[in-house]
Amino acid sequence: MTRRGDADPALVRAAQRGDPMALGELMEILAPYVGRICGPIALQDGPDATQEALISILRGIRGLKEPAALFGWVRVIAVREAVRVARRTAWPSGTPVEEVSAASDPELAVDVADTLARLTPEHRAVLMLRYVEGLDEIQAGQILSVPPGTVRSRLFRARRGFRKAWDS
Amino acid sequence: MTENWPVADLDPVRRLRVLAAAVRFPVYVSEVVLPAPVERVWAAAADLERALPSFISTVRSARITRAEGDRLELLATGTLGQRARFDVVLRPGWCLMRSRFVLGAMAAVPEAGGTRFAALGGFRLPGARLAGPLLTVLGDRSMRAFAEHLELHAHP
Repeated sequence: MTRRGDADPALVRAAQRGDPMALGELMEILAPYVGRICGPIALQDGPDATQEALISILRGIRGLKEPAALFGWVRVIAVREAVRVARRTAWPSGTPVEEVSAASDPELAVDVADTLARLTPEHRAVLMLRYVEGLDEIQAGQILSVPPGTVRSRLFRARRGFRKAWDS
Repeated sequence: MTENWPVADLDPVRRLRVLAAAVRFPVYVSEVVLPAPVERVWAAAADLERALPSFISTVRSARITRAEGDRLELLATGTLGQRARFDVVLRPGWCLMRSRFVLGAMAAVPEAGGTRFAALGGFRLPGARLAGPLLTVLGDRSMRAFAEHLELHAHP
């Protein structure tokens, strides 16, 4: 499961009232989490996806009923925006990975990005939700608006594609 | 295995674009690529007491009255003598300022050929939508004034 800090409910309420300093502070808190979701799905378009997801999140923050549900709500929007942005760009495999940084070993991170690039955005989303976010098939299905059976088959194909690409 | 998965970064200029799209009043946003390294551009921009009067024609002086980490309090005096207290967040490549009526932000990131510098300004007033064209004129002038800032073009 991805580690993340909690946002102060008072900060969320201030952002909901439209206070620009609170919106700025909330963006600082959410940007690393949104970047970890958008990176594996949108790859080289990750910064664009993160930007668009955060615009969507901060514009829609008034609609969040319970501040404690913030990160779950953010995750749904970030996955949706990342898949949308990734679909917009046809990305031939082997294209250099720009602006996608690694949390640790950069060489290995490029390998992972290169391998992910051979999968569709929907398959990358399933892998990310399962392995980065640590969700089960039912939870992942709820986020992607598909039945758990579809998550299972996507996961199977994504793992197989991942292994094939990894072994090649 | 997942610690090596790609992570997308949201640089300060992108953060400024997000903020511009998220606030609920009209703002002016301008971006320019300056032929100077980001350290020099940011040194000029972050020196708020000198930078604000030099590139915002309606500000006569600016004085930092309190500083705690990256949070500052700044008192700006306008050309007509009016005063405004700003809450400021100032970090490398990022500055956000808010008074009762005004929002301002600056951001800088390295880019091929120099530095991408972005600025945002807006009035937090009821009916501020009418100020849109004025904001554009003020913003253009301020951006030109900053781009022509002597220190950005001085040789080290």
